[in-house]
Amino acid sequence: MVIRIPLVITLLLTLAVFAGVRFSLLLGLGLLIGFTLERYGFGFAGPWRRLVRDRDAQGVIAQLIAIGLTASAIQPLIAYAPGLLIGAIAPVSLTMIIAAAVFGFSMQMILGCGSGTLVNAGSGNVVALAALPLFCLGSFLGSLLIPFALQSTPHVPLSLTKLLGVEQSVAVTLAGLLIVGLIARGFSQGSIWNRRFLTAAVFLAALAILHVLIAGQPWGVVYGLGLWTAKAAQGIGWDPNTAQFWIHPINATALKESILTDTTSLTNIGLVMGAALAAWIDSVNKPLKQSIAVWYYFVAALFGLLLGISSRLAFGCNVGGLFSGIASGSVHGWAWLVAGFIGSVAGVHLRDKLWLLASREAK
Amino acid sequence: MTRRIGIITALTAIILIIVLDWSLGTPPDPYRAPDPMAFGSTSGASGAICSFAPGAEK
Repeated sequence: MVIRIPLVITLLLTLAVFAGVRFSLLLGLGLLIGFTLERYGFGFAGPWRRLVRDRDAQGVIAQLIAIGLTASAIQPLIAYAPGLLIGAIAPVSLTMIIAAAVFGFSMQMILGCGSGTLVNAGSGNVVALAALPLFCLGSFLGSLLIPFALQSTPHVPLSLTKLLGVEQSVAVTLAGLLIVGLIARGFSQGSIWNRRFLTAAVFLAALAILHVLIAGQPWGVVYGLGLWTAKAAQGIGWDPNTAQFWIHPINATALKESILTDTTSLTNIGLVMGAALAAWIDSVNKPLKQSIAVWYYFVAALFGLLLGISSRLAFGCNVGGLFSGIASGSVHGWAWLVAGFIGSVAGVHLRDKLWLLASREAK
Repeated sequence: MTRRIGIITALTAIILIIVLDWSLGTPPDPYRAPDPMAFGSTSGASGAICSFAPGAEK
């Protein structure tokens, strides 16, 4: 820790000088989020898995509290500063719902969601390291498919704040989270409270609110991953002018500019580094390779690809779509929650079977 | 081998991505940097966000 803190401060100051203070703050936020998620063992795929498998709702309740706290702050903030601050409002559609279900399924197969895969990779988890490159590729491929998805089914952006006004939107969001919490509580066996997860939830909500204040937009993950691949594809001759998604001025600008000035890229980098910092000391006591057959790493890579494609078509992963979507008052966040959970239920069962098979073969 | 190898691999990949982007693309220009915080400034969100759906009916 003695060496790591000065190293981080030096890194952030260097970025502030070479790129700008806002970008340095965003990298710092990403670092804190990655550190929090790794240190507190908090995430999205794991709590959903424990709810389905063990009837343990502690992690899910903490997630709902994090979303509720964030929503209570960012919906009024965004309404107060329209234009400067924007919410994660995306359309609801059939393809979006199917994609969220596929994401929920895939995230259980590798036990890593959007943020979870980055955090797990940062903490040296080989399954996540196998999945992450194809997650990036999938995110890019998904961006190429967005125009076809938009043409195939009606896409309707629904913002609760626009439909109901801010006060009612916050009230409906909190009521919705309470109902989900009560359902989870009814399904759960044992206590629904866990101090460690609740602490992580409060930290995560505070960091998510700060993210909106600094970046002007809610926290997301997959946009940055797709951007990295798009830049790499451009480097080997791909023409972005052939892709409807990438010719939009916002995306074209992101392609031209450095990733060190892209919001989601910076927080993604921070997530990996923050998780690495949190896991560094204990990492010497954990084996690199898990006791599973090698073929499971290929399965993880395949589902990494699906994570990327589906998260683009669902207009965000569990972070940009679910967490930030619901917190912003976007109906697509709620559709994501339902579809993603249904996909997760199927994913939990298949993962258990495949993992058992892979563990037996490894022995 | 321990998971520290995995951490070093992940960090190396991140550094490689940054170095390649810096050397092959446009380096950041601190003189064009936005205000430190979007809230209360004149430079807001970039709009490059996961929920962005260009072409979706408004």
